[in-house]
Amino acid sequence: MKNGKLMVAPAMLWLSIFFVIPLLIVVAVSFAGRTPYGQIIFEFTTDNYLRFLEPLYLQIFADTLIVAVITTVATIIMGYPLAYFIARLPKKWQQPGLILVMIPFWINFLIRSYAWVIILRTQGVVNTLLMKLGLIDQPLQMLYNDAAVMLGMIYALLPFMVLPIYVSIEQLDLRLLEAASDLGASPLTAFRKITLPLTMPGIAAGTILVFISSLGMFVVPDVMGGAKSALIGNLIQNQFLAARDWPFGSALSIVLAVMSLVLIILYYRALQSQEGGKADAKDVA
Amino acid sequence: MQKTWRSHLLLAYSLVILAFLYLPLLILALYSFNESRINAVWTGFTLDWYKTLFQNRRVLEALMNSLFIAIISTVVSTVLGTIAAIALNRYQYKCKPVINGLLYLPILIPEIVMGLSLLVLFAQTQVPLGKTTLILAHITFCLSFVVITVNARLEGMRHELEQAAMDLYATPLQTFRYVTLPLAMPGIVAGALIAFTLSIDDFIISFFVAGPNSTTLPLYIYAMVKRGISPEINALSTLLMCATISLVVIAQILQPQHSSKNND
Amino acid sequence: MKKLLVFLVSVLTMALLAAGCGGDADKKDAAAGEQQVLNLFSWADNFDPEVIAEFEKQYNCKVNYDVFANNEELLAKIQAGGAQYDLIQPSDYMVATMLKLDLLEKMNMDNIPNAKNLVSTLQAPVYDPTGDHSLVYTWGITGIAYNKNYVKDVPDSWEDLWNPEYAGRLILLNDSRETIGMALKKNGFSNNSTDPAEVEKAFQDLKALAPNVLAFDTDTIKQKFIAEEAWIGTMWTGDASYTLKDNPNIGFVVPKEGATIWADTFAIPKGAKHKELAEKFINFIYDPQISAKNYEYIGYNDPNEKAQEFHSDEFKNDPMLKIGMENIDKGEWLIDIGEALPMYDRYWTELKTAK
Repeated sequence: MKNGKLMVAPAMLWLSIFFVIPLLIVVAVSFAGRTPYGQIIFEFTTDNYLRFLEPLYLQIFADTLIVAVITTVATIIMGYPLAYFIARLPKKWQQPGLILVMIPFWINFLIRSYAWVIILRTQGVVNTLLMKLGLIDQPLQMLYNDAAVMLGMIYALLPFMVLPIYVSIEQLDLRLLEAASDLGASPLTAFRKITLPLTMPGIAAGTILVFISSLGMFVVPDVMGGAKSALIGNLIQNQFLAARDWPFGSALSIVLAVMSLVLIILYYRALQSQEGGKADAKDVA
Repeated sequence: MQKTWRSHLLLAYSLVILAFLYLPLLILALYSFNESRINAVWTGFTLDWYKTLFQNRRVLEALMNSLFIAIISTVVSTVLGTIAAIALNRYQYKCKPVINGLLYLPILIPEIVMGLSLLVLFAQTQVPLGKTTLILAHITFCLSFVVITVNARLEGMRHELEQAAMDLYATPLQTFRYVTLPLAMPGIVAGALIAFTLSIDDFIISFFVAGPNSTTLPLYIYAMVKRGISPEINALSTLLMCATISLVVIAQILQPQHSSKNND
Repeated sequence: MKKLLVFLVSVLTMALLAAGCGGDADKKDAAAGEQQVLNLFSWADNFDPEVIAEFEKQYNCKVNYDVFANNEELLAKIQAGGAQYDLIQPSDYMVATMLKLDLLEKMNMDNIPNAKNLVSTLQAPVYDPTGDHSLVYTWGITGIAYNKNYVKDVPDSWEDLWNPEYAGRLILLNDSRETIGMALKKNGFSNNSTDPAEVEKAFQDLKALAPNVLAFDTDTIKQKFIAEEAWIGTMWTGDASYTLKDNPNIGFVVPKEGATIWADTFAIPKGAKHKELAEKFINFIYDPQISAKNYEYIGYNDPNEKAQEFHSDEFKNDPMLKIGMENIDKGEWLIDIGEALPMYDRYWTELKTAK
C-alpha cells in the first residue's frame, strides 16, 4: 500500500493548476498599482494592504464578523435538531429526508430571496395576516435592516450545516447511549457527554462551511438589507467592479482568506484542547 | 413516556424548520400563476407563464446547460474529493499542513476573485471560454467542499472493521470496495449533494468563465433582474421542484422492501 | 443508497440526452459550413426574439445571445480578455472608459447607413465624441418617481427627496455615480464633478438623507413602487413607464435642476471575429419598421426618428416615454471621471457604513 499515499495526488494536482496558479496572480496583483482607468501597473507596493487598516474598512470587517458568528450559531441551533431528526429516521427515509432539505437550494437563490421580500414587506404575507388577525394596526417594517440580512444568510446557509452534522450523527453507535442510560445517565447528560462530543467533527465541518461562506455573501445584503449596509463581500465586489481597483480588491481578499485560515486553526485548536487532546479533531496546521 | 414526548418535540421542531425552508418556495410557486409580468402584487390567476415557458428556447437551453455542467462537476469532484479524503484520513503526510491549506483555501477566497483569476488563467493559456471552462471551474470550487464533508464522516469512523477485513486476508481493493466505501457512503452522498447544490446555483464564478453559447440558468436569471424576472422563471422553478420531489418519491416506492441494514 | 443511485443515474441520463441534442445542433451548424455566427453580449430581454429570428433568416446566420447584468461585469470580462464577443452593449460612461482603455473597434459606418435615422441629439454624444465607436440603442433620463396617493405636492426639485415626510419610504438608485450625481445636481453642480469640495458637499447631503432611505435599489425598484413599499425615489424613464402599467398612481418628473441622461449602446469589442456581421445587425435594428417592432417589445424610447410613423398610438402616447422625450435637453451624460473614481467609491462605502 505504499502508493496508496498517492491517492491524494489527483485532487492536489487539480487544485495546483486551477487554484494555486490563479491565486499567485492574485497575490501579485495585490502588491501592484493601478492607473485611473483600472489597468494594473506591476510596481511593488504595500499600499493596498495598508489601506485596509483605515477605520472605515476595519469597521466593515468587524460588522461582517459579527454577522458571520450570529449566522453560524443560528444555523447550528436550527440545523442540529433537524439533522438529528433525519439521522434517527428509519434508514429507508433518511436519503429522501436529506434530499427534501436540499431541494429548496436547487432553486435559484435570487428568486428565493425575492420570495422572502414578498413575504416580509409592508404589504406582504406576514403583515397582511397579522393585520387581519387584529394583532397590529400598522404594518411592521421587517425588511431592509440587519435582522433581515441575518435571516437571509441563515436561510441561504442552513443546508451546509445540516449535511455534515447528519453525516456524523448517522454513524453514532446507539449502544453507547443505551449503555449510558443503563448506567443511570439522564438523556441530557448522555447527549452532553456522548452525542455532542462524538458528533463534533460534523459540527466543526458545518461551522467552517457556514462561517466562511457567510463572510463572502453580497447578494443578501443587497436584496434583504436594501443595500444599506456594506459587508466585506460587497466591499470586495465593489473594488473589482464599480471602483475598478483590482489591486485593493485582491489585497482585501487575501487578508480575508488569511484571517479566516487563522480563525479555523484557532477553532480546531480550541476543539482539540476541549477534548483533552483527543485525536478526533483534525489538525489543520 | 418521557421518550415519546421528547421525540414529538423533535418532530415538531424539525417540521418548523422544514416549513421555514419551504415557505418561500410556496410563495414562488403561487406567483407562477400570477397574471402580472412582474413579481410585485397579485393581480389574477393565469396559466400563461407555463405556456410561454415552453416556447422560450433560451430558458430551456440555459436549464440544460446548468444540469449538464452540474452533473459532470458533481461526479468528478465527488470522485476526486472522496479519494483524497480517504487518503488523508488513512495515511500520515509530512506535508499535511500544506495539503490542508490547499484544500481549505478555495473556500476562503471570495468567489469573484476565483472567477476573475480563472478568467485570466484561461485567457492567458488561450483556452476558449465555454462549457468546458465552466466545468473546470465548478469542479475546482466543489472539490474542497466534498473533501471536508467526506472527512467529517471518516473522522468519526472506527477503523476496526477495515482492520478485521485485512486480517481475514481481504485484498486492499476488496477492503476498500466492501468495507471502507459502504461505511463512507453517507458522507460521499452528502458531499455530492453539496457539490451539486453549489454548482447548479453558482453565478459569480460562472459569469466570468462562461463563453458564447454557454449561458447557465443562474446567469440568465441574474441578467433578467434589470428588466424584472419573468414569472416564467417561477413556473420553471415550480416544475423543477415538483419533478425532483416526484423522482424522490418514485425512487422510494421502487426500492425493494427489505431495508438495508444499519451500517454499524 | 440504491435509490439515490437510481435517482442520480436517471437525472444524469436525462441531462446527457439533452446535452447530446445540443451537441447535434452544434454539428449541424458546422455542417452548414458558411453559416456565420454573431456572438452578442447584452442585457437580458433586450431584443424582440422575433426580430432576432428574422435577422438570422435574412442573413443565414446564428445569433448567440449571451447576457450580463451590469456594466462593470461587462468591463471586467472584456478587460481580462478571452471573451469572444462580436457585439456588446455598454452604457454611455462605460463606452468612454472602454475607449480610454482602447477596447473598442471603430465601426465602418458604410455598413450602417441606417445610423442616420437616429435623433440628432443622440448622435456623437460627449462620451464618444467622434460617434463612430458606439451608437445609441436605448436611452432614458433619471427623474423622481412618486406615488400620488402618498405624495400630495408634485415634486419638481431633487430637494423634495429630503422632505422628512417621506422618511422610511424613499428609494435611491444603488449606483454610486447616479446617486452622488443626483446630489451634485441638487446643489447645481455637474454630475461629473471631480472638484473634491463639490463632491464632499453632495456626500454630506446624502449622509443626512441616509436615515430616511428605505433601500438603495436599482434592480427591483419597480416592484417596490408597484407594491407601494416606496412612495418616492429616483428612477429611469423606461422603468417608470413599466411601473405605471402596473400601478396607475405613479407619477414621474424630471427635476428643474437637470438630471442624468443615460444610454445603452451598440459597440464592437477589439478583435471581434465577425465585425461586419455585427455592423449588419446594427443596421438591421435601425431599419425604421424593424425598429418600431423591436422598441414596442422592449418598451424603451425609440431613438429612431424615421420609425416614429410606424409606432402604435399607445406607444407614441406613453406618458413616461413622452416625459423623457420632452426633457431630453435637461439631461447631462455621465462621462468617465478617471482619477476621481476612488473618491466616489470611498464616499459611497462611507455612506453605506454610516449608522
